[in-house]
Amino acid sequence: MLSLIFKNFIRSKGTKIGLFFLFCIGFISLLIGKQFQDKQQNNILEATVYQKESLARNAEFHKDEIGLLLYYAKFSLVNKTLPINSLAIGQRDVNPSIQSVNIRGLEAQKYDAELNNANNLLAGNMDLSFVLIYLFPLLIIAFSYNLISEEKESGTWKIVATQSQNTFIYIIKLFYIRILSLIALLSILLFASVLFLSVPLDLSFFTFYGLGILYILFWFAVCFFIVSLQKHSNFNAVILLTIWLFLIIIVPAGINAYIVNKYQIPEALELTLKQRNAYHEKWDTDKNETMEKFYKHYPQFREYKIPADKEFTWLWYYAMQQLGDDESAVQSSELETKLQQRNLASQSIAQFIPTLHTQLQLNEIAHADLGNQLLFLKETTRFHERLRLHFYPKIFTDAAVKDQKWENFKVETFNDPTSIRFANAFLPLVIFNVLLIVLGWFNFRRNVI
Amino acid sequence: MKKLQSELLIAKHLRQSVFKNKAIFIITLFIGILLLYAIFSGWENFKNQNETSEKYQHESREDWLKNPDKNPHRMAHYGNFAFRKSTSLSVFEFGMEPFFGNAIFLEAHKQNTANFSEAGFSNSMLRFGEISIAMVLQVLLPLLIFFIGFNSIAYERENGTLKILLTQGVNWKQLLIGKALGIASVIMMLFIPTLIILVLVWLFLQNFTITADETIKMLLFIVFHLAYLLFFCVIAVLISAISKTSKKALITLIGIWLVFTIILPRTTQAIGGYIFEAPSKIQFNSAVEKDILKQGDSHNPNDPHYKAIKDSLLRAYKVDSVQKLPFNYSGFVMTEGEKISSRIYNEHLAELLQVYKKQNSFSKAVSFLNPYIAMKNLSMGLSNTDYESYIDFQKQAEEYRYKMAQKMNALQIKYISNKKPSAGEKPYSISKEHWADLEDFHYEAKPIAIVLKNEIISIISIILWITLLFILIRIAAQKLKAI
Repeated sequence: MLSLIFKNFIRSKGTKIGLFFLFCIGFISLLIGKQFQDKQQNNILEATVYQKESLARNAEFHKDEIGLLLYYAKFSLVNKTLPINSLAIGQRDVNPSIQSVNIRGLEAQKYDAELNNANNLLAGNMDLSFVLIYLFPLLIIAFSYNLISEEKESGTWKIVATQSQNTFIYIIKLFYIRILSLIALLSILLFASVLFLSVPLDLSFFTFYGLGILYILFWFAVCFFIVSLQKHSNFNAVILLTIWLFLIIIVPAGINAYIVNKYQIPEALELTLKQRNAYHEKWDTDKNETMEKFYKHYPQFREYKIPADKEFTWLWYYAMQQLGDDESAVQSSELETKLQQRNLASQSIAQFIPTLHTQLQLNEIAHADLGNQLLFLKETTRFHERLRLHFYPKIFTDAAVKDQKWENFKVETFNDPTSIRFANAFLPLVIFNVLLIVLGWFNFRRNVI
Repeated sequence: MKKLQSELLIAKHLRQSVFKNKAIFIITLFIGILLLYAIFSGWENFKNQNETSEKYQHESREDWLKNPDKNPHRMAHYGNFAFRKSTSLSVFEFGMEPFFGNAIFLEAHKQNTANFSEAGFSNSMLRFGEISIAMVLQVLLPLLIFFIGFNSIAYERENGTLKILLTQGVNWKQLLIGKALGIASVIMMLFIPTLIILVLVWLFLQNFTITADETIKMLLFIVFHLAYLLFFCVIAVLISAISKTSKKALITLIGIWLVFTIILPRTTQAIGGYIFEAPSKIQFNSAVEKDILKQGDSHNPNDPHYKAIKDSLLRAYKVDSVQKLPFNYSGFVMTEGEKISSRIYNEHLAELLQVYKKQNSFSKAVSFLNPYIAMKNLSMGLSNTDYESYIDFQKQAEEYRYKMAQKMNALQIKYISNKKPSAGEKPYSISKEHWADLEDFHYEAKPIAIVLKNEIISIISIILWITLLFILIRIAAQKLKAI
């Protein structure tokens, strides 16, 4: 019986075209992922070379003045890109994965944007997560919207009903074949990613896989429920497409508008203005006042004093830069809190919207979500602080440039320590699936098929 | 009028029967609500964006003017900001706005990126799309049109009523046009109220003082959207007419909608991005830096380029050291440095923009195959939320930056003494009155002529599509059969 159902399913021209089309797009998405991965790796390489060269050049040019050298010298921190990131690019295209900073004021450098073609951003990435979240459901709908209803409309249902002992089991089998074919397709694509994108077979990969399967099941559950209402094929098609449209565009867009309006971030602009003024006004205010504030932040540097007869010293200069950051710290932390709130709000609302939930979870697994970006920004602050603490005493004592081991300052890497929370990832989808299946089953039981 | 009588009768009949289908009624009602929401949220967005941008532009200007007497070069480092402002049509079409940076810091020696885009501050939710009037008009209404129109003729065929209609003296052309008008009249029940609110909001936002430029943009926005929607009405009827059953018609129409609005826009842009790879920021910056170093490093005292300048100056003024020059020498060197670095930066930028243009050319070309992309590009152009507008904003900001830096250099050359202040002496400064000499940054949106020139492909594409439909109606009227 099952093999006959399968033959019937796979022989249809529509099925073959649909599966083939999805396979091709899935494969293109892997190519795009590969390109993204290569570009990321290339960037890291580029950053490493650049840092080495520019440090050497600056050390050559400014041999006598370490303060001036560090005005120019840039140090890079890389937000580690996991191989699985190429399957879910997430926010990694908008946000730079490498931060290059000098030891002057951080707030003026921290939010520097990546160069981007806005057209690409608007269209969005065609990564595997897009194929899974947008396109798989369409094929699922196309495969199942007319189950039963079509046979009823063409009059063959009565024959089926009299020939099989349990029509409900028959319906389950129809779904079973379709579910298997799409899970097989997902498996092939993921397996290909292991081969071509060297995605390791680790926990992240299997969570990705699990989420993919649950997401596919979710859409079959939706179809199962709609089919259980036993309406006309046309009605099923219209209603399923409307559900798709809602879950894919309208609801996420609505929630986004809500979050953007609820947590507005004027702090971002406030911060840049404040930071600029806080630093620059120090050029025209009392030097001792500036230094006193600086010593208060770093008591360990109190021993370094500015000479009374010199108009300009690097100690004073870096103290001024430091105060630009210190005095805009309120705005900075407010901005961070707001972003944190946005992240939390979107995650908690997403639990109730399977499409959104899956996308956010896949991005989280791939370390490409807002949460990862926030952690990276925090780490950038720590990285910057380490550099400052290392170089400040050297600048204040005007240490010899040639005595510093510049070649030791390599590009550093940040590893996002966030671990996968399985209950968070899987539970919302499981609950939706069970709910829809039970409701659908109930409908089938109530109405005589 | 008499000529159109049968058409109008058919249209009226379709309109009256549409809402007997409860599902269609609910979807229409819902889209109506969504339109209201889109107007509200567009308004809110626009207000926030412009209020913040104006507020901080003003604040930044005040801060600039408040600076005490100082060396003009300090002011060049103090810098200015360019905050992005939206035009009134962006209430209806957000376009790429969420992906645009909202502020550029403008300082001497350095071209900064446009920072703080909405997208950078959002979780991936934004990537699912946004609810704007334009989105509803361009994406949802065509689908509603298809839902209403799929059985317009196919159902009559299934029922056998099609034969009756045709034997009663109605010809195919009348039937097709009548049905299309019928669907259009249903859609107008949503479109016309939206238009009225749209125009009112638009007038209100500009305090009822409108410019000719804005008015033309608004009119084009309306006319093209109207044509676009009518276009889908005709497609729905044509597909319904050639399909054997209403189910086939529905599936075909849904397929067309998916390909036009969801699949093609993303795939074509992705392919463009894949084929023409753009450099990342770090590559771009290091390439710029390398070229500048090749030209000469103004910070390196032994650099041959600057040494040559120095020697020629000393010769021309017949002095033996730069301190004896009648103007400020370091100001002169910085003017030269700024000139060189800006030129090199702009050359590299032009190259980068060329790559972006190539990436976009793909989807631009596809607008001939896809009226949705054509419409989208045109409406983004009109509302100043397209790619070109953003580039334009960045260019204006860079021009302003260059002007600012060179103005400060000129002040230094003119007013700052060439001798270094001796120990204990206060550093040289000039009066703060000079700060007002540099006018505020003011962003000017592209005029309509430029928009039309940029979007000529989209306009041609839409016109071609409409012509094609007229031809198709003619062909269909001759070839279609009742069974």
